[in-house]
Amino acid sequence: MHVLLIEDDELVGSGIRTGLQVAGFTVDWFATAADGRLALANLDSDIVVLDLGLPDADGLTLLRDWRAQGLTVPVLVLTARDAIADRIAGLRTGADDYLLKPFDLDELTARVQALLRRAAGRARPLIEHGPVRIDLGSRQVWRDEREVELTRREFDLLQKLLNARGGIVDIEQFKDSLYGLDAEVESNAVNVHIYHLRRKLGGGLIRTVRGLGYRLGDPGDIDNGGGPA
Amino acid sequence: MSLRRRLLLTLGLSFCVLWALAAAWLYSDLRDQMRQTLDQRLAASARMVSGLVAQLPEGAWTQAGQPMLSIPQITGVACQISSPRGQVLLRTHGDFAGKLDAPAPGFTDRVIDGQRWRLFTYVQNGLHITTADRLAERAALQRNVVVVAVVPFVVALLGSLVMLWWGISRGLRPLERLRDELSRRDPKTLTPIEITDAPAELLPAISTLNRLLVLTGDALAREQRFTNDAAHELRTPLTAIKTHVQLASRVPADQAHEAMTHAAEGIARLQRTLEQLLTLARVEATQADPGTTPTGTTSIVDTALADLIDRKRVTVDHGSDSVAVDVPRELAAAALRNLLENALQHTPGEEPITLEVEAGGREAIFTVSDRGDWPAGQSTRRLTQRFWRHARSQRRGQGSGLGLAITASITERFAGTLDFTAQDGGGLVARLSLPRANHASR
Repeated sequence: MHVLLIEDDELVGSGIRTGLQVAGFTVDWFATAADGRLALANLDSDIVVLDLGLPDADGLTLLRDWRAQGLTVPVLVLTARDAIADRIAGLRTGADDYLLKPFDLDELTARVQALLRRAAGRARPLIEHGPVRIDLGSRQVWRDEREVELTRREFDLLQKLLNARGGIVDIEQFKDSLYGLDAEVESNAVNVHIYHLRRKLGGGLIRTVRGLGYRLGDPGDIDNGGGPA
Repeated sequence: MSLRRRLLLTLGLSFCVLWALAAAWLYSDLRDQMRQTLDQRLAASARMVSGLVAQLPEGAWTQAGQPMLSIPQITGVACQISSPRGQVLLRTHGDFAGKLDAPAPGFTDRVIDGQRWRLFTYVQNGLHITTADRLAERAALQRNVVVVAVVPFVVALLGSLVMLWWGISRGLRPLERLRDELSRRDPKTLTPIEITDAPAELLPAISTLNRLLVLTGDALAREQRFTNDAAHELRTPLTAIKTHVQLASRVPADQAHEAMTHAAEGIARLQRTLEQLLTLARVEATQADPGTTPTGTTSIVDTALADLIDRKRVTVDHGSDSVAVDVPRELAAAALRNLLENALQHTPGEEPITLEVEAGGREAIFTVSDRGDWPAGQSTRRLTQRFWRHARSQRRGQGSGLGLAITASITERFAGTLDFTAQDGGGLVARLSLPRANHASR
């Protein structure tokens, strides 16, 4: 999943980026409000981790603008200011969660995962989809009670489809979510991951919607080949 | 004692005492006047009788047998006419035999049958005419006069006391409103006090109070901001340390090493910020004590340079011999060192910075010039604001944002001046002037 990190402090930013990458997220990190604004306008991020003390603008202003534009992407606010008034202001402005510095890296990861899960409308990290069972917390997948090994990208792709809740995900969204801005991505890289996923978990798991993208197959049709929906 | 009670007591007592004195004065005056008037009337009646007697025929006194003439009883007044030989010719009261015999002309007081009388004797042609007035009547008259005079007095006095009470209560109402307003307030609210139709005497007190409230509010807000800023400045490096230490245990060895390096950077930053905060706290607790700690400018420059990492890049120009300034050496050096550190930090590469020291008439002036990254024409107003850093420094985690604030604090404490000028073409000139010792103490 793609995390947009906006944090002005170099040491803190690099730590969070590496920490989230280790936990399996794709992270793009920006240090100013202006860069963050530009990034979210062009990237399909799954979650934003936003520091409030930015050098060029207050993080809350940025958040307010996003909410005014109707962006519903979950936002986890990071701040070193612990006054109750600051926290209330953050949540009222549209933050989904609030983490006070210094925080525990595990807590940050857990909160990011919880926010993603809630944004996808699930209360539990365990998803069952026909014969496929997915644990978003431990990033494990089972097919007919047998654990299946997935690569990081494959898992991300599967999670992205699950979070779309039956909606269509296009190639660009997959690329943002899987690779962010950093890597040069081969045009058929996503197709390769989809091919592997179908092979490992069942052809009907992912339906191709011609000209638009992909969506999750119905739970009952998972073994019915990989043709168009 | 409340102001109201004090006013009521003072004014009420003075009223009562003054009115009582006036009443006593009036009473004694009235009494004298009355006695005088009644005496005159007593004398006048004696003369009137004498006039009547003089008109009687010669032999009227020697009428057959009964020389005594007695008028049917009248109370309170009496009269007796006696011949030169002491023979009583006429008497109003038959039973007053010998009791009205006057010793000498004029007024006399006498007790007759247990009652006090006032007598007047008038002598004409050898006839003694004595008129008498019973004093009990006079006393009754006097009592009536007193009652007539005193009752309105007392009523007026009571009325003025009531008016006094009403006037004072009314006059003190704004004070009571102020008290109510103050007692109703939450101690945390610092909004100005507003009292409707406050009297002119109360306005200065209210405006002073309001000014104080505003100042307190500002001071509290400043403190709060400082605490918040300090929390932010301490938590940020702490976050970096914690994050990188945690990372070190879950990444491969080469990355772990890098994480530990980052953590160490965070620790250094935390340490720097803590030290600067402590310096600031110490400076703020220092009392400027002129004349006790003169320090030479050369010694200040040497001390400031000694702790500077990049001191080779500083070109020092002593424009005059060392002069003494009225600031303890450690603090003066800290103030100067912060200016130099700031200049070095914002001057890229090996570019030198210059420090000029001059002696003015009343002060010593340290001028630090750099050709650093400060944009030409940009306002230098925020430079000494606590925790303010240029966006670039903030991003790189350089500086604590307190160095120049400390310099400003030291300067202010020792009555010096500090100003910054943006150079044309970029860079900054900082000018620190500290008062010279022998001048300041005079």
